[in-house]
Amino acid sequence: MSAAPQASARRREPLSIKQRLLLWLVLPLLVTAPSGGLVLYTLVHDATAKWLDQGLGDTVQAIGNYIRTHDGEVIFEVSQQTDRALRFDRLDRIYYVVLAPGGQVVAGDAQLADYRFTLRPGEWRVQDDVVGVEPVRLISLGVACGAPGNVCQVRVAETIYKRTQLRRELLLGVSGVMFVLAALIVLAGWIAIRQGLRPIAAISDELERRDLDRLEPIGAWVPVEMAPLREAFNRLFERLQRAARSQQDFISNAAHQLRTPLTSLRTDIELALLEPHDPGLEPLLQRLKSGVERSARLAQQMLSLARSEAAQLHIEPPRRVDLRELVAQSAEDWVPRALRAGIDLGFELAPAAVTGQQFLLHELVENLVHNALAYAGEGAGVTVRTRSDARHAVVEVEDTGPGIPAAERDRMFERFQRGAQPQGSGSGLGLAIARDIARQHGGELGMHDGVHGRGLMVRLTLPLAA
Amino acid sequence: MRILLVEDDAVLADSTARALRSQGWVVDCTARGEPVPISLREDRYDLLILDIGLAGIDGFETLRRVRGQGSPIPVLVLTARDGVEDRVRGLEGGADDYLVKPFALSELIARARALVRRSQARFSNELRMAALRMDLDARRAFINEESLALSAREWEVLSFMLARVGKVIAKEQIVSASNGWDHSTTDNAVEVCISRLRAKIEPAGINVRTVRGFGYLLEEQDARRSA
Repeated sequence: MSAAPQASARRREPLSIKQRLLLWLVLPLLVTAPSGGLVLYTLVHDATAKWLDQGLGDTVQAIGNYIRTHDGEVIFEVSQQTDRALRFDRLDRIYYVVLAPGGQVVAGDAQLADYRFTLRPGEWRVQDDVVGVEPVRLISLGVACGAPGNVCQVRVAETIYKRTQLRRELLLGVSGVMFVLAALIVLAGWIAIRQGLRPIAAISDELERRDLDRLEPIGAWVPVEMAPLREAFNRLFERLQRAARSQQDFISNAAHQLRTPLTSLRTDIELALLEPHDPGLEPLLQRLKSGVERSARLAQQMLSLARSEAAQLHIEPPRRVDLRELVAQSAEDWVPRALRAGIDLGFELAPAAVTGQQFLLHELVENLVHNALAYAGEGAGVTVRTRSDARHAVVEVEDTGPGIPAAERDRMFERFQRGAQPQGSGSGLGLAIARDIARQHGGELGMHDGVHGRGLMVRLTLPLAA
Repeated sequence: MRILLVEDDAVLADSTARALRSQGWVVDCTARGEPVPISLREDRYDLLILDIGLAGIDGFETLRRVRGQGSPIPVLVLTARDGVEDRVRGLEGGADDYLVKPFALSELIARARALVRRSQARFSNELRMAALRMDLDARRAFINEESLALSAREWEVLSFMLARVGKVIAKEQIVSASNGWDHSTTDNAVEVCISRLRAKIEPAGINVRTVRGFGYLLEEQDARRSA
């Protein structure tokens, strides 16, 4: 039972395009930035260390130049001044030693003599070492002295303060540069991605605004890569619109086609009622008649519904409609119906102009009046009012009939919902359609108690025409 | 009275024709619009009942051809379409009245009768309803051959209303139909006039029904019972 939600919780959300692009930018950077930094560090460090070694080598060479031999004895004599000059360095301490071919210290710092190795004349040896506890850079050079084959050694050691400092600075500098560079690349990449994806957001916005009743093609500019997507959407919209229209047409046609047979059925029933007939058949004939009337009304309302939906497709543009005129024009149709139903139909008409679809507003008001005439009952009064205040046009249809309990009123607006006692020729669609139309026109339809506490008043409120 | 019924649904044509015949009228039926202009030229009809949705040329076109040959015959248009645009188009095309399917039989008969009455009044220059007769040439009114005294205004209002029997007549229409009145005329003046008329034509068996806040409707007292 609980397996499904768990499974769906475990499933990872697929990465968004933005995340994907960013990931593919950051991952290579994670590899290239450190290795690039390492290469840079090594290059700069090695070059600098080489120059430092070169400087130290110069000192070695200079010391070597002071070595002389006299009767097979190695002599190294420098003045105090020269000694200081040889040892001079602003940052590091410099040690040196001159060794006789036998390894005996001729001059300089004896600590450096501890390392035993031999060199050929002119041979360099560079190594890291320790003097006492101090790490040093030690450079040794073999110098030919005295008899052929005799090799003296000059060794110079330098503490590694400079080198350490150099490494530290290089490390900081290179990693700093690499970090800033990577950050800049990521930032630029992020901006580029956002810019690049902006058309997707624009097209999503456009799609968000589409609905079955708003299917116009997407007009927004899109980059060439997204043009096929836009075209595909537009073709889809076209197909949807065609489907929606053909559905409208079908309903509209079906409703029209239904009317003719219903008319002939009704005419036949009325004929039967007029002609001499068995009185026992009278209730049956009346029931048949009201059944036919209800079917006719249903067909009419399906037609209205189809047209109301067609109106949402913006097939017919809205116009200025004076509800007073609309009611006045329909009065001619309503009065005979009211007379037949034994209802006193009256009007209180003042100008009430709105903007909308005339046929829909007509259907709306027609539904309200139809209901009042159908349910108010013989002897009741029905009053149709139009008026307007500062912001609204109002139509009220009030009857002095039995009314509808407040608790039941909301339910009356649901489709195919009829009063507790099904009677009259209602299809149950009328009020639902009426409310749909009212809302489409930015208005509201509500049920209230009649003015004198009797019966029902249905009030339509619509925004006044500009 | 002779009626030409143009309706392409055979079943509906049959029941409508039977209903009209039940009123003692003679009814000829045709399913198509094309032969209608010729029929109207060859035979004398009092009323054309025309369905809009016909096979072949439609009702609008038939109507155009009928009016095109100058026929003044009253035309009642039947349609399965109730769009206001259709209604306007029908009336502008020369129809005298308009019924939307499905209509009540009594409605059809009442409209047909009113149309014929109006057209006959045009020919005979006489308006009749129940026991009331208005001789438009002589400008004199009678109830059962007894002269009925009417003021000039009452004459105008009554003749206007009698020409529109079966229809609800708005007060504004009454105002604009009468020469002496202009738009500043109060509803009150109309009401006073109507109440005088009501008293005068009641003996003829005519009831002036008030439609609250709107206007009036002429009814035959006995016809009201049967309707």
